[in-house]
Amino acid sequence: MKRSILILLCLLSLMSASACTDFVEPNQLAFVMGTAIDQGEDGLIEISEQIVVPSKLSGPFEGGSSGDAGSSVVMSATGRDIFEASEKIQKKMSRRLMTSHRILIAVSETFFNQNDGGKLFDKLGRDPANNLRDIMIVVKGGRAKDILMLPHPMENITSIAAGKELQINGLNKFSSRQLIVEHYTDGLRPLLPVLRMEKIKADDKESRPMAVLAGFAALNKQLRVKGVLEESESFAAVWMSGKETYQGLTIPWKDGHGMLSFRLVRLKRKIRTRSCGDSKCAELRVKAQAYLLENTTSLDMSQLRNMTEVEKYMNEQIQQSFQLTMDKVQRWGPDIFGIGEQFHRRYPYWWKSRRDNWDELFKTVDVTVKSRIQLVSIGSSGGPMK
Amino acid sequence: MNTISRRLSENEADLKQRFHPSSDIVFRAFALQDRTMLMLVYLDGMANVDSIETQVLRPLLHGGLPDGIDRLQSLAEALRREWVPLANVTTETSMEGLVKQVLQGNVGILADGEASALVAQVQAYEQRSIQEPSKEATLRGSKEGFVENMRTNQSLLRRRIVHADLKMESFTVGKYTQTEVALVYMQGLADEKVLESVRERLQKIELDGVIDSSYIEEWIENSSFSLFSQIQNTERPDIVSASLLQGKVALLTNGTPFALILPVSFWAGLQSADDYFERFVFVMLTRFIRYVMTFISFALPAIYVSLSTFHPEMVPSYLMISIATARENSPFPTVIEVFLMMFVFDGLQEAGVHLPNQLGPVVSIIGALVIGQAAVEAGIISTPIIIVISLTGVAAYTIPRYSAALPFRLLRYLLLFISGMFGFVGFAFGLIFLLIHLVMLESFGLPFLSPVAPLDGKRIKDLFIRYPFWMKDGRNKKGRPR
Repeated sequence: MKRSILILLCLLSLMSASACTDFVEPNQLAFVMGTAIDQGEDGLIEISEQIVVPSKLSGPFEGGSSGDAGSSVVMSATGRDIFEASEKIQKKMSRRLMTSHRILIAVSETFFNQNDGGKLFDKLGRDPANNLRDIMIVVKGGRAKDILMLPHPMENITSIAAGKELQINGLNKFSSRQLIVEHYTDGLRPLLPVLRMEKIKADDKESRPMAVLAGFAALNKQLRVKGVLEESESFAAVWMSGKETYQGLTIPWKDGHGMLSFRLVRLKRKIRTRSCGDSKCAELRVKAQAYLLENTTSLDMSQLRNMTEVEKYMNEQIQQSFQLTMDKVQRWGPDIFGIGEQFHRRYPYWWKSRRDNWDELFKTVDVTVKSRIQLVSIGSSGGPMK
Repeated sequence: MNTISRRLSENEADLKQRFHPSSDIVFRAFALQDRTMLMLVYLDGMANVDSIETQVLRPLLHGGLPDGIDRLQSLAEALRREWVPLANVTTETSMEGLVKQVLQGNVGILADGEASALVAQVQAYEQRSIQEPSKEATLRGSKEGFVENMRTNQSLLRRRIVHADLKMESFTVGKYTQTEVALVYMQGLADEKVLESVRERLQKIELDGVIDSSYIEEWIENSSFSLFSQIQNTERPDIVSASLLQGKVALLTNGTPFALILPVSFWAGLQSADDYFERFVFVMLTRFIRYVMTFISFALPAIYVSLSTFHPEMVPSYLMISIATARENSPFPTVIEVFLMMFVFDGLQEAGVHLPNQLGPVVSIIGALVIGQAAVEAGIISTPIIIVISLTGVAAYTIPRYSAALPFRLLRYLLLFISGMFGFVGFAFGLIFLLIHLVMLESFGLPFLSPVAPLDGKRIKDLFIRYPFWMKDGRNKKGRPR
């Protein structure tokens, strides 16, 4: 009995001695909230990590306030690949870098243009310390690093702001997990949000630069930016690629007097494929429910006749502008809508011989856009204000 | 074995010697009209002397013997048969028997020239009246609780179950205390095997004294080294009656208001009498809360330590940053800090239990000021840990029975220890060992985790959802009525 107790005690102390080094206190960790990837000199990669400084952050336990000064720092280093660069950052840090809580990965457009992105994102998929929920964005006209350094008028940390901005506007499915899925899918190309720095006057003091959403970039198989959609077109492209849940829409009435504004919800799209001649054709149908929120025309919307006419006109307008966007994207080549995937499923043998050349072939495929939007509400008041 | 002598003086000397130097023993000698000497022996305060005086002494002293009766041949016989208007009178021939009867509060009547003693059963001692059980208060249902006197307790049960099948077998336990223990069960409903093993274990008890039913509990339970008690204790006669009707067995112990119920499962500790008195839909909610809180009461500190120091990537980002902010200047590792707080919490609790009522607020003031505020402001303890520990402490109070909450308070430390070393891996191992132990545990043949493991479709109707009474048959399958 005494002997077994002694052995047990020895085992316990051995266990605790071997295990006590395993834990890491939160104040030994550097929480990375955002990572910026830029083109460094001599073909190296420059990595910048935005790290939270908890002591400067008034946490919710003490009643938080926004815009704490110095609540984050940005550390940069260059290396031949991501890991080497982050190791260099780690050497400068007193705390262990923790990338699992990252919200944002910002990549500068120049980097995409000069490098093969596929190689870059190997680490994203391979390293288990990435949570893959972080949002991937492209930074246009400037260095990605600068985006991380900007203070935000509302949020403590710019990375959090960028993440929330996309989420609150109904744009989901832009995570790095989605990017990896798209990268490994033959008939689907990534569409990434583009941020641009803009001077905004947020208070009576001087105007400050802020990162704002400026459109979406279409990437090809090698993850090179083939084109950037303008703000008006990006609405169409994001909806058609099935990555948006709601959106606002304003169209001028056909007589040129007054505007109609809608909130579109339950955005859906459907791709139908068929054979036409020796090639294949596709039809992309967008569906939504529209709520009329503003009406500055002279139309009396309580009239059923007017309602059907507005619905019809809206569909025509959408169909027309969406077709233009579709044609534009087709000219660039990358199939951000996943039409190739539909062909893959419907005509696997036809697809097999064409999948390696899809970026080129997509330019020639005939894709028509159809719109089926239902006007479900005309708002609280029927006719125009007298 | 001494027999009672025919000479009164000898008996008196013997008794005096046996009780020497106790002051509460009373010898009252008096002579009848024919000079026959009588003597009453009793313990002051335990026997109702009034009834002896009015009903025995007065007629004897003043009225004398009725006419037409010869000289007394056997006073005892005569008294018992003819004149003494007392309900319960027996004769004792041995001195030991007499002493025992006197000790139980009966009055012994000795007569000169008699080799036996009359024992009048006139026990009457001060006792607590029936009150509402303080530890197991319910919102609805009976307000009666058991008292120290076993006869009263037995009557409380008899009044609830008016059936001849309610059996109460009596045992005497304890060398010096000679405590009466009653084995209560419903014949036909209770499992015969359980009864047999209880009888056997009761007879094997070798104790100097039984002060509380817990003495018996420890002696007869299956696994004494387990954290979990395999016998339920209760002050409520309604709980005992309900358990008896479920085919369980109860033990009443003289001198304590706590009855024992066996066999019980793990879940019995988490169920309250109110569960059966309130509407069953609402009970669904309260039980759900209680089960979740029970889990929190032993697991939360361990989960917090594993999450924040071993697996910070599992915590939502904003929460993790909040925790990191709060813990920025903490001097101790999280596990040490949690342990300190748990220790202090349990210390305060222990202090609160033992303090007189008037001093109770002192502990809460010191506890709230010193630990709640000063420690946080000084930066020694971080706020999230205060939240975790308070929640854990409150969670333990949702367990309806005090003794059922005790194992969880202990488990808290064990799980914290192993989680502090190995994170979730250790936590998982701790839970696995706990489950292995619970699955192996038995209470008088009933698997401790039943009706969950092994699954019993009938009885599980009273586990997560208490089915309405007409939908369930909560009785043990073995003891179904014929």
